[in-house]
Amino acid sequence: MSPSPTARVAGPVVTDRARAPRSPRGSTRRAGRPDGVDAVRIALWLVVAAVVLLPLGAIVWLAASDNHLPLLLGGDIAEAGLNSLVSSVSSAIGAVVVGTALALLLDRTDLRGRRVLRLFALTPLLVPPFVGAIAWIGIAGPTGSANALWTQWFGAPLWNIYGADGVIFLLTVHSYPVAYIIVSAALRRIPSDLEQAARISGASAIRAVLTITVPLLRPAILSAFTLVAVGNLADFGIPSIIGLPERYVTLSTLIYRYIQSGTVESPLEVIATIGVVLLVVAAAAMVIDMLVSRSRWELDASASSGQILPLGVARLPLTLVAWAGVLAITLLPLSALLTQSLLPAPGVPLAWENLTLDNIVRATTAPATVTGAVNSVVLSVLAGIICAVIGLAIGTLVTRTAARSNTALRTVAMLPQAIPGLVIAVGWLIIAPRIGLFNTPWLILCAYVMAFVAIVVQSVSAPLRSTPMTAEEAARISGASRLRALFDISWRMALPAAISGGTLVVLTAVRELTISVLLLAPGAQTLGVSIFSLQQAGAYNAASALSLIITLVGLAGLGLAARRAR
Amino acid sequence: MSSVTLSDVGLTYPDGTVGLSGIDLAIADGEFVALVGPSGSGKTTLLRAIAGFLRPTSGSIHLGDSLVADASTLVAPEKRELGMVFQQHAVWPHWSVERNIAYPLRLAGVPKVERRARVDEVMALVGLEGFEKRNPTTLSGGQRQRVALARAIVGRPRVLLLDEALSALDEPLRDKLRLELQTLTRSIGLTVVHVTHDRDEALALADRVVVLDAGRIQQVGTPPELVSSPVSPSVATFLSDATIFTGRLLADVFSAAGHECRVDAALLEGGGSDGDGSIAVLPEDVTLTPGAGAVVMSSLYGRGGNDVVVDWKGIAVRCRVSGRRPLVGESVDVRIARAMFYPSRLPAAADAHDRAAAGRLQG
Repeated sequence: MSPSPTARVAGPVVTDRARAPRSPRGSTRRAGRPDGVDAVRIALWLVVAAVVLLPLGAIVWLAASDNHLPLLLGGDIAEAGLNSLVSSVSSAIGAVVVGTALALLLDRTDLRGRRVLRLFALTPLLVPPFVGAIAWIGIAGPTGSANALWTQWFGAPLWNIYGADGVIFLLTVHSYPVAYIIVSAALRRIPSDLEQAARISGASAIRAVLTITVPLLRPAILSAFTLVAVGNLADFGIPSIIGLPERYVTLSTLIYRYIQSGTVESPLEVIATIGVVLLVVAAAAMVIDMLVSRSRWELDASASSGQILPLGVARLPLTLVAWAGVLAITLLPLSALLTQSLLPAPGVPLAWENLTLDNIVRATTAPATVTGAVNSVVLSVLAGIICAVIGLAIGTLVTRTAARSNTALRTVAMLPQAIPGLVIAVGWLIIAPRIGLFNTPWLILCAYVMAFVAIVVQSVSAPLRSTPMTAEEAARISGASRLRALFDISWRMALPAAISGGTLVVLTAVRELTISVLLLAPGAQTLGVSIFSLQQAGAYNAASALSLIITLVGLAGLGLAARRAR
Repeated sequence: MSSVTLSDVGLTYPDGTVGLSGIDLAIADGEFVALVGPSGSGKTTLLRAIAGFLRPTSGSIHLGDSLVADASTLVAPEKRELGMVFQQHAVWPHWSVERNIAYPLRLAGVPKVERRARVDEVMALVGLEGFEKRNPTTLSGGQRQRVALARAIVGRPRVLLLDEALSALDEPLRDKLRLELQTLTRSIGLTVVHVTHDRDEALALADRVVVLDAGRIQQVGTPPELVSSPVSPSVATFLSDATIFTGRLLADVFSAAGHECRVDAALLEGGGSDGDGSIAVLPEDVTLTPGAGAVVMSSLYGRGGNDVVVDWKGIAVRCRVSGRRPLVGESVDVRIARAMFYPSRLPAAADAHDRAAAGRLQG
């Protein structure tokens, strides 16, 4: 058995060595000719370059064109920056504390009715922040129901929501569900045997939770903190509705003012500089998160979830406190929205003869809102479809093929998730005139795709990562080329995840405010902007009516999506 | 069907780790060859090089007469006309059983009518009649592995590659599939390369077994050859749990160094002249008699004889004892009825080798 020893000698040794480097994981490395998969990879790089890198590059380039840093350090901008920083950090701390406490209480103890309570606790996630702000004004605004009652009983209002404390409170309310989801997912991944080993070693149930489980949650808690803090850094709805009446200005509201009224010279350049600063903060948060996740413990897969911890004597009081708190945070604003929608004007007493459907009728039939609704639906459905396709392609490529550029591609696609929506909007605003999309709704679509494609990439790659690579290898052995295996196996397997990711994009985009308010073009008003304009114009009850509708539709939509996903 | 020929195949990773080195192996048409070895020995690397998922850094691989890999050629896996079954079955969850099995035919452009017939044929062959429309996720582990097997053979591959194909299954089922696998592959005359870490499975199924260690072939032979005359102490240890004594053969007696073990040259196989060397003692060749020379460390019941380990003056000796099962802690004498002698050319190297072998035994 000496088959063609000449072939070996004939092969040029140098090229052999040049080709020798292979990925150490030992996946396929073809002989050198680029194939279909390489073409797909190049195409995807072009897409992310256009959709993600171009707007970011434009911000950096414009900011670098002239030095506006001194401007940032003085007066308005410095104050707004400080306000943004304080409100986002303190609300993130609040959100993480509430989220972690809820995760432990709802997932690991015998709190009464914890299943139902979990659903209630998650609802603020489904209510857009600006809608929450409108609703809370009805409760804790100067003429809100709670303050009215308190004044009646004690002669002075309880708490005025307008101002810094209100902004921080509302940001916390709207971000603790995210912290809860992250921490609770991490909690479920901790194998129950770790705690059981502690129990067998002599630890009490509570001690096992506090000394074993909670320390293992630390990375998840930190990553929830960075995610929430970056998200809150540039929220527009809450500070503009709750903060501005008390002259509490944050970066997002300041930027909005600059764009709307041109109070500074060359506003775009100043805004770009602010955008770069936010970008640096976001990048720093991402790096911290990455460093933390690198030091994350390798946990074995666990079949059984953790044991339920009996609360004992504390069960009844804790149940009461948790239920009261969660219901106050979730049901109160909804009922406030409802009453405001049914009353003709703020301050009118709630009585049967005062109730009217006028607001709801007017809100749903006004031409501006109808345009807004149509625009929002069209833009968000398009964004959902585009994100699903791009996200499916990127998510499968980076998890199911071997290439050095995979990490880079994935990072670029995921980058916008860590970037405040404000910065994304500014980026597109800068390049709009150059790409001929200035003052058109398509600009908003581009920004939506950039902002939300990460949702699909994430939802696609998570289930794929747990599928062994042999799925594609089996297809290769069956005679499929790399591209064919990618189509037939990877894409088909990930299709359900891409569809549910796309649905999530639609539901997020349809209620979006921060991006669309900044990219506002004539005739391109979105639903969020319609509500915001009504609120700004003083039509509180019409704004409430529309908010109520959008919230109920959103709840129904997500409920349907969740049911289908199961 | 076709043969597989590997000549001087080597595979070194970019970080310098040696995956394979100097592999020369000819697998005949229709032969069933098992690759065994400790984990990290390179058996899966070798299989994946044959499959085309890994590119050898030296040497060449032929399937039949066609060259599939050498310094300047690398035929992609899909062009090699192979069938492969993976440890975790890799049945595609988004397609029905029938669609899974038909996939290789679909890619080969087989017309629909013929495709149907051939799928039915292999499904009957692996015992899956009536499962055509089933969703793979509703199948049991054994049924999924049958689907994977059907998919691997439906395209009439030149060679069937099995990568720990039975290892994920539970014992009684694994045994059943092992029997079926032999019947099936023999009835259609498949060339099979089977990677397994289960020594008994390799010996039971294969025409020839290839023992690998550290990326090199240690020995190739039929199962009886490997069991009765392993070529090195390490093969004897790996395949048969042999006990190794190092020492010197002098005047017709082997004396272990620093140990009271003495074996008469008449009992030694492999012969050789006087000099340093080591002996490998198979568990079957040890008998225990009442005495005080050694202490029983463990005593496990087995169908074909009790599996006993005794501590003989610091060396753990593995024995297969039929009849009465000794108790742990009992004192016994050890008698060696037969041993293989391996003269060492370089005493230092041999020493290191045997230490490694002894370590593997304890591990």
